[in-house]
Amino acid sequence: MNYRLTVNGRAAEVDVPGGTPLSDVLRDHLHLRGTKVSCGTGRCGSCTVRLGDRAVASCLLPVALAEAEPVTTVEGLSAPDGPLHPVQEAMVSCHGVQCGACTPGMVMTLSTFLDTTADPDAGQVREALTGNLCRCTGYHTIVDAALTAAAATRTPREDRP
Amino acid sequence: MTAPTRLARPRVEVPGSVDEAVRRLAELGPDGAALAGGTWLMRSPAPPATFVALHRIAELRGVAAGTWGALTTHAELAAAPLPPALRALRTAARTSAFPQVRNVATLGGNLNARGFAEADLVPALLALDATVEVATTAGRHRIGVEGYLRSAHGDSADPAALLVSAGASAPAGRRSGYARLTVRGGGEYALVSVAISADLDGAGVASAVRVAVGSVEARARRCPEAEAALAGTTLDEAAARAAGQAAAAVLTPRDDLLAPGWYRLEVLPAVFARAAADCLTDPATDHDTGEAP
Repeated sequence: MNYRLTVNGRAAEVDVPGGTPLSDVLRDHLHLRGTKVSCGTGRCGSCTVRLGDRAVASCLLPVALAEAEPVTTVEGLSAPDGPLHPVQEAMVSCHGVQCGACTPGMVMTLSTFLDTTADPDAGQVREALTGNLCRCTGYHTIVDAALTAAAATRTPREDRP
Repeated sequence: MTAPTRLARPRVEVPGSVDEAVRRLAELGPDGAALAGGTWLMRSPAPPATFVALHRIAELRGVAAGTWGALTTHAELAAAPLPPALRALRTAARTSAFPQVRNVATLGGNLNARGFAEADLVPALLALDATVEVATTAGRHRIGVEGYLRSAHGDSADPAALLVSAGASAPAGRRSGYARLTVRGGGEYALVSVAISADLDGAGVASAVRVAVGSVEARARRCPEAEAALAGTTLDEAAARAAGQAAAAVLTPRDDLLAPGWYRLEVLPAVFARAAADCLTDPATDHDTGEAP
């Protein structure tokens, strides 16, 4: 069965059974391997992508349900030759990246969360991250990165230090 | 762009109406299953050959006063302006799982997930005395959620019975609340979940108490012993703990990797106290950050 998706602003067509997880389509068919599959059961958050305006676990999402709305993966968060997304910048500056396996999912969850919560406190960030596991246990710096990114997003780029 | 998939994945059919979905589910029988958000079915070790996806059926969506379409997500329920009488449903939806799942997992999927002892919306809807509209090949009917769950999870369940919506009434004076306990702060299956609904008179004295306990036994269920313990009280902490002890005396708890059965019974009074406190939360002073308790 052919499925027509919009991934990172581009049209894509894949011929797979409709029950194929979106994560498999992204990684194996569209070669977008920024989306990680760690647990494969929707528990760890490393496969998080954006579907429309929602963060979703792509390992649990049948591709047949992904046709109606645009998909954004970590590869689509910033242009290849453009500046990093504020969450990505903050993950670097706050040392929020250790082994990196959870990082794309963390970035997708946080960028989606900050779109609707411009001025979160640390508790809200932790709640937003309940679906993302960091096996390096580097949570404090990831929460710092989220708060830093939120502050940066509220400050126009040219006014940042 | 094609590459071999590692596993045989179900094919997906996309009916445009409830009648068409019911007809296909009837024809497919055990080889088909209704697909809502997919967060439970996609983890099935033995999925059917065909998913009948419901996402194009507009009738199954939408939240109206006291009625929620089967495809209403946990996130939508958590954000809905539910009155204090229906607070248990909101708290259950808001604290269930974590954002990536709440954004996708549906009310209909939660009620129909087989073998899911920890389904959060189930005890909430049991305590709220919810009714559901069901479509079958013989037409539509509305039944109580308790009877629906008994038939939908029984051995002779009708594979073509499709949940259309759920609803509950919200009389003035009714309050409800929900609490769950997890190993970490949140984001996991509950070890114990408790939903309480009661009608409070002018002095705050409870009548028409309904209590449901989830996660402890294989399926959530009403607990008349706890209801009797709460009737005539003001849902204060001592009364709630006593009701939890009454529930612990009659429940047969499960062991699993997260917790042994005895532990679930030990914590029941504390979780009852939290659920009762959720009932009494004043909506006017409820500065809810969305953080899981």
